[in-house]
This record gives sequence, C-alpha cells and structure tokens, in this order.
Amino acid sequence: MRFTPTELTEAELRLQQEVREFLAEELPPGSHEPCLGMAARKDKDFSLKMAERGWVGMALPKEWGGSDRTAVDRFIVVEEMLRWGAPVGHHWVADRQTGNVILKFGTEEQRERFLPSICRGELGFSIGMSEPDSGSDLASVSTKAERASDGWIINGTKIWTSGAHENDWFVCLLRTSPMEDGNKHAGLSQLLIDLKSPGLEISPIPFLDGSHHFNEVTFNEVFVPDTNVVGDLGMGWHQNTTEMAYERGGPDRWLSPFSTVEQLLREAHGTELENAVTELFGELIARWWGIRNLSLSVARLIDTGEAPSVESSLVKEMGTRYEQEVVEKLVHLIDLEYSPDSESLFERLLSQCVVTFPGNTIRGGTIEILRSVASKGLKGLPA
Amino acid sequence: MTEDSLVDPLVTETAHRLLSEICDHESIQAAEATGQAPEIWNAFAETGFPWISIDEDAGGSGGSLLDALEVLRLVGYHAAPIPAAETGILGGWLLANSSQELPDGITTVVPNGRENVTGSVSGDEVTVTGRALRVPWARVAERIVVPLSIEDQTVIASIDSAQCAIEPMTNMAGEPRDTVTFENVQVPLAIAAPGIDLEAFRFRGALSRAALMAGAIEKMSQLTVSYTNDRVQFGRPVAKFQAVQQHLVWGAQDAALARMVAETAAREAARGTAQFEIAAAKLVANQAAARATKACHQAHGAMGMTQEYPLHHLSRRLWSWRKEYGSDAEWSSWLGKIAVAQGADQLYPLVTGGSAVLN
Ligand SMILES: Cc1cc2nc3c(=O)[nH]c(=O)nc-3n(C[C@H](O)[C@H](O)[C@H](O)COP(=O)(O)OP(=O)(O)OC[C@H]3O[C@@H](n4cnc5c(N)ncnc54)[C@H](O)[C@@H]3O)c2cc1C
Repeated sequence: MRFTPTELTEAELRLQQEVREFLAEELPPGSHEPCLGMAARKDKDFSLKMAERGWVGMALPKEWGGSDRTAVDRFIVVEEMLRWGAPVGHHWVADRQTGNVILKFGTEEQRERFLPSICRGELGFSIGMSEPDSGSDLASVSTKAERASDGWIINGTKIWTSGAHENDWFVCLLRTSPMEDGNKHAGLSQLLIDLKSPGLEISPIPFLDGSHHFNEVTFNEVFVPDTNVVGDLGMGWHQNTTEMAYERGGPDRWLSPFSTVEQLLREAHGTELENAVTELFGELIARWWGIRNLSLSVARLIDTGEAPSVESSLVKEMGTRYEQEVVEKLVHLIDLEYSPDSESLFERLLSQCVVTFPGNTIRGGTIEILRSVASKGLKGLPA
Repeated sequence: MTEDSLVDPLVTETAHRLLSEICDHESIQAAEATGQAPEIWNAFAETGFPWISIDEDAGGSGGSLLDALEVLRLVGYHAAPIPAAETGILGGWLLANSSQELPDGITTVVPNGRENVTGSVSGDEVTVTGRALRVPWARVAERIVVPLSIEDQTVIASIDSAQCAIEPMTNMAGEPRDTVTFENVQVPLAIAAPGIDLEAFRFRGALSRAALMAGAIEKMSQLTVSYTNDRVQFGRPVAKFQAVQQHLVWGAQDAALARMVAETAAREAARGTAQFEIAAAKLVANQAAARATKACHQAHGAMGMTQEYPLHHLSRRLWSWRKEYGSDAEWSSWLGKIAVAQGADQLYPLVTGGSAVLN
C-alpha cells in the first residue's frame, strides 16, 4: 500500500478552471439549493449540458462517445460538481460505474447501444444489487433468471434501488444457475434490464424524511433478451466486484457536507458566529486537504493501470466517517434549533445532513465490510 | 511530478539501512536512560545526513530539503534518539542563513515557544540573557542557536554550550528537553537573510515535526499489523477479529494520511514558504497521532504498556511531538483565520490550491 503524492498538471488545472467557470455561470451561488454529494437531485438538462462539454462518461473512449480522458480528469470534474452541490443525480451511476462495466465486459453491440447515450447524458442508470435477504452478503442473492428461448425469465425482488422510479435502466446481479456445493460466487451473472419492462414493478420505499429516494423492484416473469447479458454467464460475481471498485475512494465519499460548511461561512460572515467557528474551519480545511490528496493519488494510480482496491477501500472508509464527523462538529458548535424548513439555507442543509448522513457509511458496502476488505491488504513490518 | 518534487531514492535506501542497523530497541532504551546516544549520532553524522539541504559552501552536505525531510521521516520511523532536525534543517539552517559556521558536532536550537530569552545589540555583538525551556538535547550540543527578533531584525545568536547553564529535563519519550540559562552571553552579531525570521522558523519547526511524526505513525501501524497477526487468542491470530481489524484499518489510514500531508508539505516547502501546507500538515499529523496511538495501543493489549516491547518508543514520541512547534489549537486557529478571510466562495479553491491561492 502506498499513496504517492501527486499534483495537478497545467492542463488539469485548466480543466478545473473551466469547470469552475461553467458552474459559476450555470449555478451562481445563491441561485440554487445545493445538493449534498452524490444523493443529488436529478436534473436531466443539467446532465445534458455537462455532457455537451464532454464531462459525462469522460473517461470512456472517443469511439463510444466518451472523451478518452483520465481518471484524474474525471476526479476534477466530479469534485467541483460535488463541492458546488450541483444536481448530478441523473447521470451519476452511469458515469461512475455502469459505463465502465459495459465498456469492460459488454459486447460490441451493447457498447454501441448504451455508451454514446450515456456520454450524451441521456440515460439514467440504477444499481440492482441488494435484495431483501442479501445486503452485505451480496453473493447470496436469490433473484433468478431462468432460460427461455432467446433470453431469460426473471423472478424475484431487488431492494433499496435508488432512483429506479426515475431512471431508465439498471444492471442487476442475478442467479443464472442454481447454487452448487455451497459455492455461492458461482452461477451469478449481470444483466442489463429496462426499468420499463413488462412485469417489472417499482414501488417506493419512503426515505426516513418522507422523500422518495429508493424503491423495491419486483420481477414477475420479466423477459430479458440474451443480448442484455453483460459479459460471460456465471462471471457476475467477479464483474460485480470490479464494478464496486469504481465506486470507492472518489470525492463522493468525502465531500458530501462541503456545501453545508461553505454555506455556514457565508451566513456567519460579519457576525459573532464567525469567531466561534474559526478554529473549526481550520480543522476542517486541513483534513479535507489531506483526504483529498489521498483520494487524488488513488485516481493517479488508476491512470497508471493499477487497481488500488485496498487504497480505495481505506479512503472510502475514512472519508465517509469523516463526513459524519464534520456534521457532528457542526451540530456540537452551532447553538441553533435548525430544521428542514428554516429560513436559513445553512440550517436547512445541516438538518438534511443530520437526517440522511447515517446512510453514507452504509451505501455501496458498509464500513464494517470495507474494513474486512482493507485489513486483508495491510502489511506488517518489512521482513 | 517534476524533478524538484522527487526524493533521491539513494537517500531513502541508505538512511533506512543505516538507521535499521544502529537503532535497535536496546540502544533506544539506553539513550533514554543516559540522555544521549553517541554511537547512534556518530554513525549517523559520519554519513553527513544531518546537514542535507545545507549548501556545501556553507559547510553542509548539499542535497534538497525534500531529501532532508525524507531522512527525518526515517528518523521518526526508527525512533532514532538523535537531534537530527535541530542540527540540520532548524539550527543548521539558521546558521547557514546568517553566514555563520556550522559546528562539526551537534547543534540545537531554542524553540520560540514559551521561553523568555532576550538579546541586545551593541556594535557588532549581541548579548543574550534569559531562560529557555525545552531545548532539545542541549546537554550534548556543541552549539545552541537562539533566533531573536530585535528591532525589526532577526538576529541569530550562535552560542557555545559551555557558556550556558544547562538543567536536564525530558519530554514524555525521555528525550532531552533541557532548560538553558543564558547570563549575559556575548556573541558576534549575525543578521538573518531576508525571509528568515521567527515566523519562518516556527513553520520550519512544524515541518520537521510533521516529517518525524509521519515516520513514527507508519512504523507504529506496521508493528501493530505484525503483532496482531502473531498473537493468538481463542485459537486464532487476533488480527482475524473484526474488532481488531478496525484498529488496524484506522491505524493504517492515519499512517497514510500523515505521510501524505508531510510529503505534500515538504514538496511545497522546497518551492516556497508553503505556510498553508505546513500548518495543515502539522495539524493533521497531530490529530492522526492522537487517533493512531489509541488504536495501536488498544490492539496490543497489555504488551503495548510495557517497556520491553517497542511500541512506546513511537507512541510516547508522538505524544510529545504533537505538542512541539504548534499544538492543534495554534494551527487550527491560524488556518481558520485564513479560511474565514478567504470567505465562502474561495473556501474550496483554498483546499485544492493551498498556499498558491494565498500569494
Ligand atoms: C442511501 C442508500 C442507497 C442505497 N442504494 C442502493 C442501490 O441503489 N442499489 C442497491 O443495490 N443497494 C442500495 N443500497 C443498499 C446497500 O448496498 C446496503 O444497505 C448495504 O450493502 C448493506 O446491506 P444491508 O442494508 O442489508 O445491511 P446488513 O447486511 O443487514 O447489515 C446490517 C449491519 O450488520 C453489519 N454486518 C453484516 N455483515 C457483516 C459482517 N460479515 N461483518 C461485520 N458486520 C457485518 C453491517 O455492516 C451493518 O452494520 C443503498 C443503501 C443506502 C443506505
């Protein structure tokens, strides 16, 4: 494990500047209600505008509509979007992981069918992994795909499916052959499934604050053609593990409360509160600077062709805990009874952080599971 | 990465090898008992390591500040009981930047913390008076360097240790942090080069501690992974227990974080004043040290509480270094003022750009 310090090149700094100018024009501070990280609003027009700049699916090859940019370039765009609280929800999953999965494991036909429209910011994807009886123990999924002519018939239930009610497609991890000899990692496959398929039913599971974020998706004899199988039959577990690696260690794992903190500074300006929060701001920016450097070094490592899975697990585990720590520090310091309908934007955001951030250390694999993954890669004293 | 931001790999390799040979558990323990480690120092000094980054013309060993900080990181990693920072990038730096001779032996420096030392200039001499607290290894130093601010000028007094009264004191790791009394000591007047003042010295001190701390946390984390894989309870290595894995992961994160911030601050300090990066690095290292010592001790059980087992060489140093050249409060308030002055719109550009956006 080694996190090598890195820094942005001239060209990368220009990209950063370009993104900042774009955001200042599209979403001038004060003109929009900032989103809290990746749980961002879906705003298809905004996604289309980003795509016009080449900032959706940007690391995908040009021949599929991407921009052939690096993981670091994508890091820069994502970090600026998130710290601004931009509404990146529509293209989020496709940009972060599904595009990569289709590129890496998909057929030529699937690449042609999906990648250009992902890169145009048109298609929204969900993630179809969890089931009622399979959370952390994901390999135990039991939703079945059974052979039919030219395709598969699906029966079962996926759960916690964020945005299924608004998105177009999802990649599902399904059991395509029965479990044998207790080897639960075999017999799983990934299928691309249209969320508008006949027999597929999407029911909201109200989020704790009453909002509509995730869903239960039930399959009742849903037909999926052979052409929608991603990669090789039975290789679903391996592919899914690779997909999860794209989820980890990026700015979405440590920037979620930033716009709240920034708004506090805006509202405290010139008031007594400014003195009270000074030391806290020192602490927060120092740690953000440190964590950002770790996360950036992971992106740089990916660009050298490495798969830094231990490093990215460490960053995600640390970053999501840090997000919660930031909120706790704000709560501790701010002597106010904030609420979701406060007049102050800061107070509204803080209430939202308090209520929704417990999920940050759960989604995409809990921190407990991440620790097991990461600790296996730790090295002791050199021999 | 440009050339100027790379450490010479030969420096890493030779310093690591040498320190592994000369700093074993017994010799560190012995140094604590006697308050000195002449064998370790002599072997280390013979290679010229203490004077890296000081020009050869000025009596140093040449090389870059990055190389010097890499050596300090390894000094921290091996818990080497020697005044490497004081002789080199602190005291040696002040001497070289006031055109004064570097001694062959140990140099130490009066940290500008709570001491009460004053100087008065008459003609081409300065007279130093007062009592300096917590001066590292003063008892074995040949020279004691005192940076003084006198009427808008920074005066660097280089004092023969024989001219001072030295009372032995220690830090929590048993390293010498002596009380030094100067009674009207007269030395030739030497003015520091432009840009070298008490503030710059404070930052440089923090930079030195961040490098030492990064090394110590990394070693502590590795030691903990090794120990918990060897120690068997309930029929298996305790590292297999999830509760213990949490300590291992948290320790490794803080080791990575502390090293990242120290190395990033070092890179920037080799280019400019790097005040943001140094302040942030020291603050992050302080907090990483607090968390990592807790996690690593917990994972060791009672063994970590003994003198016989080496964990304390690292943890006690970290608890001491955390308070040297800037506590959490000092640096968070320094950084906080900068952040507040930048304002909301410039807050994130400060996180990404650091000192570059402040100039
Ligand atoms: C906001 C949000 C959005 C989500 N969106 C999606 C989505 O779009 N698509 C999707 O597929 N899923 C989604 N999820 C589900 C998420 O992936 C799961 O919640 C997660 O994998 C954990 O599964 P679980 O909730 O069933 O918890 P469980 O697995 O039941 O875990 C309960 C507790 O036990 C602990 N635990 C379980 N096993 C172990 C073990 N072996 N060792 C130690 N501790 C253990 C867990 O860490 C946790 O603390 C979302 C979750 C959240 C919170």
